[in-house]
Parts: sequence; structure tokens; C-alpha cells
Amino acid sequence: MARMKFYCDAERCIECNGCVTACKNENEVPWGVNRRRVVTIKDGEPGERSLSVACMHCSDAPCAAVCPVDCFYTTDDGIVLHDKDICIGCGYCFYACPFGAPQFPSDAAFASRGKMDKCTFCAGGPEVTHSSEEFTKYGSNRVAEGKLPLCAEMCSTKALLAGDADVLSDIYRKRMVNRGASVMNWGVQFKKAGIDG
Amino acid sequence: MAAENRHNSGRVRKIVLFCVFSLLVVVTVPLIPYAIDAYAVAGKQASVEKVAALENPAINLWNDVRQRNERTQGLTQVQGVDSGVLINKAGEDWRRFRVEQLVPYGAWFMGGILGAIVLYYLLKGTQMMPGGPTGVRIPRTTLNQRTAHWFTAGVFWLLAVTGLILLYGRFVLIPILGSEGFAVTASACKEMHNLFGPLFILAVVAMFVLFIKGNMYNLGDLKWFAKGGGMFGGHVSAGRFNAGEKTWFWLVIMFGSALCVSGLLLVLAALVPGREVLSLAHMFHGISAVLLIAVSFGHIYLGTVGVEGTLDSMTTGSVDAAWAKAHHDQWYAEMMNDSAAVEAADQEQGSGLVEGGVAKPGQAPGV
Amino acid sequence: MKLIKKSDQVIAPGTENSMLQDNTTLDASAGSSMTRREFLHNSSLVAGGAALTTMFSPSMMKKANATAASGSGAVKEIKTVCTHCSVGCGIIAEVQNGVWTGQEPAFDNPFNLGAHCAKGASVREHGHGERRLKYPMKLVDGKWKKLSWDQAINEVGDKLLEIREQSSPDSVYLLGSAKHSNEQAYLFRKFAAMWGTNNVDHQARICHSTTVAGVANTWGYGAMTNSLNDIHNSKAIMLVGGNPAEAHPVSLLHIFKAKEENNAPLIVIDPRFTRTATHASQFVRIRPGTDVPIVWGMLHHIFKNGWEDKEFIRQRVYGMDEIKKEVAKWNPEEVERVTGVPEKEVYAAAKTMAEHRPGTFIWCMGGTQHTIGNNNTRAYCVFQLALGNMGVAGGGTNIFRGHDNVQGATDLGVLANTLPGYYGLSDGAWKHWAGVWDLDVEWVKSRFDPGSYEQSKDKDVPVMNTKGIPVSRWIDGVLEDKANIAQKDNVRAMIFWGHSPNSQTRGLEMKKAMEKLDMLVVVDPYPTVSAVMHDRKDGVYLLPASTQFETYGSATATNRSLQWRDQVIEPLFESLPDHTIMYKLAKKLGIADQLTRHIEVKNDEPVVEDITREFNRGMWTIGYTGQSPERMKLQQQNWGTFDFTTLKAEGGPCDGEYYGMPWPCWGNPEMNHPGTPNLYDTSKNVADGGLTFRARFGVERNGVNLLAENSYSRGSEIKDGYPEFSDKVLKKLGWWDDLTAEEKQAAEGKNWKTDLSGGIQRVAIKHGCAPFGNAKARAVVWTFPDPVPIHREPLYTSRRDLVEKYPTYEDRKSFWRLPTRYGSIQARDYSGDYPIILTSGRLVEYEGGGDESRSNPWLAELQQHMFVEMNPRDANNTGVKDGQDVWVEGAEGARVKVKALVTRRVAPGVAFMPFHFGGHLEGKDLRHKYPEGADPYVLGEAANTAMSYGYDSVTQMQESKCSLCRITKA
Repeated sequence: MARMKFYCDAERCIECNGCVTACKNENEVPWGVNRRRVVTIKDGEPGERSLSVACMHCSDAPCAAVCPVDCFYTTDDGIVLHDKDICIGCGYCFYACPFGAPQFPSDAAFASRGKMDKCTFCAGGPEVTHSSEEFTKYGSNRVAEGKLPLCAEMCSTKALLAGDADVLSDIYRKRMVNRGASVMNWGVQFKKAGIDG
Repeated sequence: MAAENRHNSGRVRKIVLFCVFSLLVVVTVPLIPYAIDAYAVAGKQASVEKVAALENPAINLWNDVRQRNERTQGLTQVQGVDSGVLINKAGEDWRRFRVEQLVPYGAWFMGGILGAIVLYYLLKGTQMMPGGPTGVRIPRTTLNQRTAHWFTAGVFWLLAVTGLILLYGRFVLIPILGSEGFAVTASACKEMHNLFGPLFILAVVAMFVLFIKGNMYNLGDLKWFAKGGGMFGGHVSAGRFNAGEKTWFWLVIMFGSALCVSGLLLVLAALVPGREVLSLAHMFHGISAVLLIAVSFGHIYLGTVGVEGTLDSMTTGSVDAAWAKAHHDQWYAEMMNDSAAVEAADQEQGSGLVEGGVAKPGQAPGV
Repeated sequence: MKLIKKSDQVIAPGTENSMLQDNTTLDASAGSSMTRREFLHNSSLVAGGAALTTMFSPSMMKKANATAASGSGAVKEIKTVCTHCSVGCGIIAEVQNGVWTGQEPAFDNPFNLGAHCAKGASVREHGHGERRLKYPMKLVDGKWKKLSWDQAINEVGDKLLEIREQSSPDSVYLLGSAKHSNEQAYLFRKFAAMWGTNNVDHQARICHSTTVAGVANTWGYGAMTNSLNDIHNSKAIMLVGGNPAEAHPVSLLHIFKAKEENNAPLIVIDPRFTRTATHASQFVRIRPGTDVPIVWGMLHHIFKNGWEDKEFIRQRVYGMDEIKKEVAKWNPEEVERVTGVPEKEVYAAAKTMAEHRPGTFIWCMGGTQHTIGNNNTRAYCVFQLALGNMGVAGGGTNIFRGHDNVQGATDLGVLANTLPGYYGLSDGAWKHWAGVWDLDVEWVKSRFDPGSYEQSKDKDVPVMNTKGIPVSRWIDGVLEDKANIAQKDNVRAMIFWGHSPNSQTRGLEMKKAMEKLDMLVVVDPYPTVSAVMHDRKDGVYLLPASTQFETYGSATATNRSLQWRDQVIEPLFESLPDHTIMYKLAKKLGIADQLTRHIEVKNDEPVVEDITREFNRGMWTIGYTGQSPERMKLQQQNWGTFDFTTLKAEGGPCDGEYYGMPWPCWGNPEMNHPGTPNLYDTSKNVADGGLTFRARFGVERNGVNLLAENSYSRGSEIKDGYPEFSDKVLKKLGWWDDLTAEEKQAAEGKNWKTDLSGGIQRVAIKHGCAPFGNAKARAVVWTFPDPVPIHREPLYTSRRDLVEKYPTYEDRKSFWRLPTRYGSIQARDYSGDYPIILTSGRLVEYEGGGDESRSNPWLAELQQHMFVEMNPRDANNTGVKDGQDVWVEGAEGARVKVKALVTRRVAPGVAFMPFHFGGHLEGKDLRHKYPEGADPYVLGEAANTAMSYGYDSVTQMQESKCSLCRITKA
């Protein structure tokens, strides 16, 4: 059984935010809701790296564990989805998620939350596949078309990968082998560059 | 007289401080194991992932992040709550608290107390008034007090029930109603909980204002505690409120306040910066609620079937002299000296016409 | 990365029923914008009448019985090219019933393999176009009023004719665009010629004009020599003054391939620790404006250690000895004193480049936008020549161009100093093009001001041979005293045909200039900052142009490859394609017949393919002659058959061709030249894309041979250097009879550039020779102000101690028709009042002036505030915290109110601002001045408001990378 995963290669991610807008494009997510984001740590300093983050479709998803209405489910491909008809917008999944994936539209009344929205791995939701209901509530369903999430497919440097965990492992291993071949190749020589002084 | 008052008020302040402190201890001490546990769990988790690293690069990625530096706060172009936080370290703690502690321990705790009470009742039955009711009524609560009590009780149970449904409905109600059926219930519960929650703030404030008098601890309460409220060691004497009732009062005030503050944060989530505050608020909310609900079982038991005649004080506002003598002997003595009040109560009892006519000592009957 | 199909409910890829052209079914969708949500909504209503269950009621569990397939109508896949940067990423647009409903990665496009940056991944928003300029409008008493197209064209045309009558054609400035397709750019330049002015220019002036001038004068052509894909072959990568991670993100796909698979070190030299620098093997932080010293510093070590490629220099380089003399002055101490980089870093970089060959040299606007930009670009070239990195795969100067078609617009001569194809403005050039246009050159001449603005050898130079005012200086063309300008009258009307004014420096003066104009016309899909930055009450026209997704044509990517775009959707709202607007205006001005003499016009729209064919007939200099529309379309349909690294098609209908037929694609289309993937690569036959350095500068200088020595391209029958080909050369070589009778007739008295039959080129290539000759590259450009590139301090410099030794130029009285200041500015010390160096650059989310990208909500959400990057040290000295508002005051007193971004990306004493914002001016929000509904989502201060004077000594490139400022708390 395939187990779908995202993997972001920090050595390649350049914070171009292509994944973020690809997601907006494919799923027409409204302003203020970002299913994916790129976080840069140690900005402007030696070791600066960026990573693209969204729902990681955890095997034992914390969001599902804490959901009071049990609206999460895992597909046969290992994709964690949720049912917006069941979601009550309590926000517990947001507290529990290690990656900050759950998003809540901010336009709901009285500053309360609307229904949770998150990355679906471009696999739609519980509605009829490719129905307008599915698109309106969950966005696109590329997986059903035999395609992968658009964020990963459009990544400018192929840093963000999506697909079967085993395949990703292979790609990653190959890259590591290539990189391991050179000692001087990786990491800015900051001492020499004087940036840390 | 004035000097004495001043002396008294100084003592009152001390006692209040003592009570607040001891309650804080009561609240925080049980949390220490959680904190230790969570800390240990976090460490364990990391090492587990390290072992699994070879199998899934995605795990390795996050591991890399952690290994390279402790910082998970970064910059991002996405505007949102905690968007710059790469890994929400507190999330796992919170999940464990809720799933592995609050839900099971809460159930055990509330169920245990309820079970113990039922058992106690089955063994001991209702504690009757010694010698039966005398017919002499002694005023015990004002209309305001009773209104506040029932208002609080109403709001409390509305929130408790809706809250419990949200906490346990997944396990109890989904099998009955189905996911989608329960979704309606849960959604309604959430909306009600959020809508009526702010009323509880009013309730707690009213309770505090109207019941603070007589609920200050004094030295005699130690004796009461020592004798387990009369469960063992024979009769304990008590004033208007015994130490148990005082403790209940302070629990309501303290945990009620905790519920109010944390609840307010949770309702106004959109205005709260950061989810760590919210998850912390949620922890306090959960613990306070479970505690208060559990203790309320005892309160309800004692106020209804547990002790004959207690309920009167919150229905009619007056109690039988026998009840007063048995449970609040010092107060009984005070009240008997103030015969006017007793008569007034008698009158009311007799005629049943004067609504809310229970007089407080020194206050004119009728409103 | 395809999954196994899980569902059978796959939308079938489009059957070729062209709903796009079928207007009867289009009423609802075509010509108006629509989101996919709206589309699905509408189509499901049509399909089943099933109302959408909206989400207003909480937890409704009712599952609608929706029709399985979303929307009716087949999905049509259309291939096009991203319209943002010059990487040229392929795009597959999914269109349903004329609505752009999906965007798929073009996995088999050899440039991007489906990859996109934030901009490319969001181009489908162009199908919504919510914030577009929707109708022609004009400003009446300070209010925007809707106009019909006819009315707008009439009013604008009348005014233009009036100005022409009163002043001269040169009082109308035609500002073109790098956003035009090749065909539109060509037509625009031709339009200017028909109108009779050389006051025509576009953004290339302010992005890579110094590159074009510097590089072309070094070895012949002013363009990227290799390609992004060719970087795969590099063993080392030197990147100076560029931040491709933000400006050309997809190029990193190629750079990382070299880095990971060749273990090629990536050296980044920049004042700023950019998102690119973070992935470098070595980062060298220089003081802004010290490119020449750092390059000479590295060459110092190279020459000292004998690492230069001596044989290559002997065979193919002229003037390296003079360079050596200059380089000798740049000892490590002096380099450190000027650039701030210690010797060991410079040495390490030089050694890395020497030991890893071939290495490529990439530069961008950090190197070009200086008063000595042409010196910088030539220094880079010399560096590559010294290491023998030219003309080899993996080497070259990989100059990343800016806009999607800035290379094409430059090639097609939307410039004040040349006709299409870099023919220049000489009589010969005019004659050549008049011939192509089938016009009498005297008629063309009659269109110009009959007077003369300058003299050469005591003879009046006709206006048509005089360089126009460059776009960087149009402000001065308006504001400068008439007596000081070398033309009849000031500029009185500006036509911004796809240009953001906020990309240009001296914002406050520009505002004044806009207010002084008689008429301001904006032809653009968006109102742009031109619509709001002035306080005019009338005389402003906004004409809605379509984007490139609403029309079709070719665009030239940074690597000289021409790609064909298909039309994705019909023009939105009332917008029209640029070439249609050009035709309409030409008709009004009475030059339509001449403009489209050999171009078919359908319903006021010139047929794009005819335009392509016309420039094919004239662009011999740079080989824009072989890329016929048919060949380009065929390549586009088969872009998957081209190799990712070599760009060569293996099999398929384009077998042997290089993707996009990178120019020069010699001869006529029938010759089937494959294009030239790497310039000056002698390891290939010219017929297969090989080349030599161009013989452009004569054959001899001061007794030194300028032609190549013992170096020639593979298969060349002349085993040595040779001059450019002409009828005489052919005759001399005895190859004249290889021409057909017809070719002979056409070639008589012509050379390889002007022979319209292409015979001379064909015969030269047949004998293995490059039509433009085989010469040495020249390290010394004796026609430039600084023949040997030298360092000069910026006009506004904080290093007063260096001014004496490295002074700037002297003021010039008439330079591109205008007085130009250098020394008089540098003479004054501004560094006391303005202690911080101010530089500028790009963000990945926005492009150019940003009006288009800031109107795209998917992009705008990611950059909501204009900011200035400050080092923590400067922030602390100013008392500013991250996120607070500050005033940045430029050295000329203009102020911008922006947010402080406290970061170590910039060094202490350096501040950086992105230049994409606009719509605020000195703290005032101008949102209310936009036409209703056409204001971009995000507005902000334009960085260039605070940027100061300063222009390159050859091309008038603006100095926007090195000025001074003062930052205070707002």
C-alpha cells in the first residue's frame, strides 16, 4: 500500500514560495488561509535554511487524536483528510499539530473560527470525486486523476517532493550520495566569508 | 467596635491570602507530574524518530531541523497565527495531556467520585435530622443569594454538559448518533458553550459577592477538617458555613475564575496571539472543569439526598432549627439569639404569602 | 512522479473542439473574468440545476447529488510561456469553455521541467484579472471617465498630431516594453520609425543595457552566451550581483544540478547575503559598487600564479596585456581597502575558479546598474577570457536577463540607439530596414524632424541618425531647459506602453515631469503607478492592453531561445492586444499602410505570423531569420523531445534542432539551421551551432592583428581568423559561384547583414565559416570612455577617502541629447548627512514595478508591506525595532515611509529596499486615485522615489544599486 508523504529538501529550498501560490492556484484557497507556507530559519545568518511546510499527513496524526468530533480520516494512500461537514471549528487540531497545518478562515462572525481547512495532498475530500462540492469545500482532487499535489509538482528546484514514501527515500538517498562526494561543496564558508565576524 | 472590626478585617485578609495560596498549590501540584511526563516523552519521541530516520526522509528532515539548531521560530511570508514557527513543540504535550490524561483521568476522577458517593449513599443512606424537623424555621439565604445560586447552577450545568459532550461525545455519542449526527450535537454544544460561557463570569462574580460573608476560614475549620467533616471523630461544630462548604465556595470561586479566564481566551481565540497560550488555557479549562464537576457531585449529594433538610436553604431560603442545630450549631446559637429573624421566617413559612421575605439579621423583611 | 490512476473519474484531456473560437457558446464566459469557483458553480447549475450547498449552516451533513464531472465542456490544454521572468518556463493551461480553469506543470519543457516560482505558479490568476484596467479611461477634472476605444484613439491621436505640428515628432516619447511579444516589440519599433522619432526605448535600458553594450563590444553579441541548461556542464559557478533565488528561481534548478552532480562550487559575490548566497559554497560580501576591484583582485591572483589560459588568450583575445597592467595595481591590500574583502577570500575564490574549469560566470543587475556598469560587465568578460572559459559548454557568461521578453525586445530594437537587430541608426541601417519594409527610405526620413541636433565632422547629422533620449532620462527630456536639450523641443507627451515608472529612479522629479507633460498615455493591462503618482487633473489616458495570455506570438528567453506562446483565453473585459492598439493608433496617425504593408490585418489586428515573417526577413545580424512561426510552433508542440542538458532534440520532428533555435539561427528558415546553443563554441560546426568570436572591430589595430590566430570553428575551411563576409570576400575566396543566380543578384554589393536572400550566410556556413568572421575578443574597448575597465567611486559614495584616487567622470554637456552630471555631484560630500549605503533589488513574489503581481491576490498576500532591510547595528543606532515604520531619506532629499526589516542579510552601513512597490508617495497612500476596482491589492512606497541621480557612461543605465540614505524612526 502506498504511503503518501511530502519531503522538503532544505539544501534546495530557496523560499521562492512557488508551492504556496501553486496551492492557492490549484485549490483557490481564499486570502488569509494558507495551506502551505515556507519558513526560513536563521534568516541572514550562517546556516540559513528554508523549508516548505504543510500538513505532513502523519501516520498517527495528532489532529485526529484530539478532534472532539472525529472528523479526520486516513485514505488508503495514507493521506489524512477531514470532513468539513463534521468539523465544528474548535481549533484543537491547530493546538496539537506539530506543523501548524490547520487553518481557519478568519471571516467567521464574532472572531470565532470557521471550519478548519488544511492541505489535502490535492486529494479532495469526502464529497463525490470531482464534484463542485468537493472543489468548493476541499479544493482539487489531483490524486484521483493520477497526479500529485501541485505544490510539489511545481517546486522550482524540486526541493519539495511528494509521493510514495519509499520513492522519496530513494530520491533523497541519491541526492545524499551526490552531495557526500564533495567535502567543500556544502555549506557556506562563513568563517572565510567574514559574515559571522 | 471599630477597632475590633479593623482587627477582624486584618485577619480576614490574612485568611484570604492563605486560602488563595493553598488553592494555588492545590491547583498546580497535580500538574507537576504532567510537566515531568511531557518533558520525558518529548525526549523519548526524538530518539525514536532518530532511529526511524533511515526509512522516511520526511522524518529525517525535521530531525535535521532539530539537530541543526534549537530554534524553530523563523520568518515566513505567510501571515497567520504562529506561521513563523516551524515546529510547534507544545503541540505534542498538549495532545498527550488531552488524549492520555484529561480524557481518561477526568473520566476516572469524575466517575470515581460519583461512584464513591453512590456507594456512600447506599451504605449510609440519607442523614436525617436528629429528632426530626422541629417546624421552627431559621432564615438561611436571601432571595439574591438563591437566585445567584440557581443561576450559577444552571449555567454551570449547561456548560458542564455541553463541555462534557465535547470531551467525551466522541467515545460515547458517536457510536449512538453516528459521526454526522454527533456533528450537529457537537456543533450546537460548541455554540452554546461559547455563547453562554460569558454568563458564567457573571455567576462567579455574583457568587463571590453574595456568599463571601461567612465563608472565611477560621481556626475551628481545622478541627472540622481533622474530623473529616464529622464522618469520623464525632460531631464537629460549625458556624453559618462549615469548612466543607467554605472549601466548596472557594473552589467555585478559584476554579470558576480559572474557567472564566481560560474560557474567555478560548472564545476570543482570534485575538489571542499564539497557540501556546490557547493550549495552556485549554489545559487549565479542562482541569478546572473536571475538578469542579466532580466536586459538584458531592455538593449536590449533600444538598439533596445526602442530608435531610439541606435543600430547603436554597428553595425556601430557611432551614429547620433541628437541621441548623445539627450541622451549624454555632450559627444556630447566633440565630436563636436573633429571634426576630426566626419569627419572620416562621411567619413566612406559615403564610407562604410573603415571597422572598426572608430577613437577614438587621435587615427589614420584604423587598 | 505519476501515481497509478486511482479513480476512473478522470476528466478526459481535451478533444480538440475549439470552444475558444466558437463565439456562440462563449457569451457567459469569454471576454469576462471568472474564477474557477464561479465557473464550477455556473457549470453545475447548467449541468444539473443542482444548487450548490453552501456552507452557511453549521455541520450540514447533506451530501449533494452533484454531477461527477465538474463543469461541462472538454478540457483543452494550451501551451504557453510564463510572462514574468526571462527563464521562459513552459506552462500548460487547461481551458474549459473559454475559461482558464487549471494550470498543469509542463514536466517536459526543457527549461523548467514543470517547475515554477511563486509568480509562475500563479499565472492562472491572469484569467481572473479582477484588478485589471477594464475599459479605456481618461482623467477629467481629477475623475476617471470611461471612454470608447474609438474616442480614446481619436483624442490621443489628435493630441499627438498637434504636438507633432507644434514641436516635432521627437516631443512624443514612445516607451515600449519587455512584456511585449517579439512581434509586438518589432511592430512598436517600426511604429516609432513610421512616426519619425528615435525617442523610443524600453526597460532593457535600466536592466542590462550596460551588459549588452559591454559584452557586445567585447566579443560581438550582447547576450547570455550559454544557457541555463548548459550550467549543468559547469564545474564551478561564479555569481556576481545577482539573486536568482528570487529573481530567476527556476534557474536554481539548473545551478543545483551542477552543484550536486558535478560538485561544482558556487561562489556568490554580493553586498547582500541573499537567498542565493545561503546555498553558496563561498559567499564574498563586497561593498556595493566595487565589482571591478573584486574581479581585478581575483585576476591579480590568477595572473600572479599563472593560472590564466595562455593559449586561449594568444589565439582569441586582444588587449590582455593592458588588462594585466591595470590588474597589477589591484594588490590584495588595495582590494581589501576598496571592497572590504580580505585577501584569503579573494584568493580562495580565484583558486576555486582556476581549478574548476570550465566555470560559468553569472551576473545580473547588481553589476549592471551603476555609473560604471559597462566597466563592470567588461571586467566580468575579461575574467572569463583570462580563464579560457568562453566558447565552451559549462563556461560562458550567463547573464540572466530580467523580464520574460527583455531579450527579444532588445534584439528587436525597442531602443533609442538602434533599429531592430542592432543595426544601429546609420544610413545603411535605415536603408536595410526600409528595404525590408518595402518603403522608400526618403519617405521614412521625411517623417523625422527635418532639422539636426548634433554635428559629426562638422556636418549636420540628420535626426533619424541621432540617438534618442533613453528611458532612464525621459524626465530630463521633459524638465530640462529647452536650450540644453539636443532636440527641437522638450518631450511633451509620454506613451507608457507597458512600463512601470516606479522602476526608475528620482521619483519626485518624475512626478514633476508627469505634471508638466501635455499628455500622458498608459497602455497597459493595469493602470500602473503612472495613473496615480502625479497630481494631474486631466490629460491622462489609460488604455487597457491584453496580457500575453490573451494573444499569441513568440518570446525570447534569457538564453536567446525563441518560444511560441499560444493564446489561452480571449482578451478580458474591453482590453485589446498591444499590436491591435498599435494598428488602431497608426490608422489614426495615417501610417497604418506603411506599418503593415506586408502584414495582413484582420479586424484591426495585424496577423502575428506575418509580423514574425517580416522580421525574419531583416534580422540577419543576430540570426533571427531562421525562426519561422512554423518552426517555432512545431518545437512548442514537441518541446518534450529536447534534451534537458544539451537542449538538442533527439528524434521527433525537430531532430537535431536546439530548443527555441537560440539565435543566431542563421539563414532563412529553409536552411534549417538548428540555432546556436552556446555562443563562440569552436568545437562545433557553424552549421551545427558552432561559432567564433565576431569580427566586429576591424582586422587590425595599432599593428596588432584583431583576427583569431590558429583558432577556428570545427569544419572551417579557413584555418585561421577571417573578417566578416561580404560579396567581395566571397569573390576573393572564390566561393561566389556557390550562390544561386537569384542569390547573386540579391547579394551584389551587400554583406552578411544586409543580403536579404541569405545567400552570403548560407555559403559562408557551407564552408564551415561564421558569417560574421572569426576574430579575437577584445579585452580593451577603445571606443569607450574607459577602454580598460577601471574602478570609479559612485556619485554618492560614503568612501570619500577613495574619491581622489577613483574619481567619477566629468560632467557631459550633451550625452544622448541631454546634459549629464557626474563629477559635479561627486564633488559634494553627502556621507555626513546620509551615512548609509542604499541598494535595491527584487523579491520573488513580484516582478518589475509590480503592478501586475501586486494585483494578483495569491502573490500579494505574501508581500503586504514595503520594507527596508537594516542590519541590527544600524537598527539599534537608529533606535528602530523590527516591523516599525521608518523614513528612508535618499541623498537628494526624497523620503519614503517603510517598515524596518532588521536582518543580517545586509552588512552594517548598508540598507536594501525592494523596488516592486508603488502607490504610496512620501507617506501618502494614493489608493483613492486609482480607477475604481483597478487598484492593486498591495500598495507601498516605491524604493526608487528615494534613489538618486547617476547614469552609466555609455548607455545611460540608471544607478540604482548604490546610493546614500539616512534612516530615521517614523
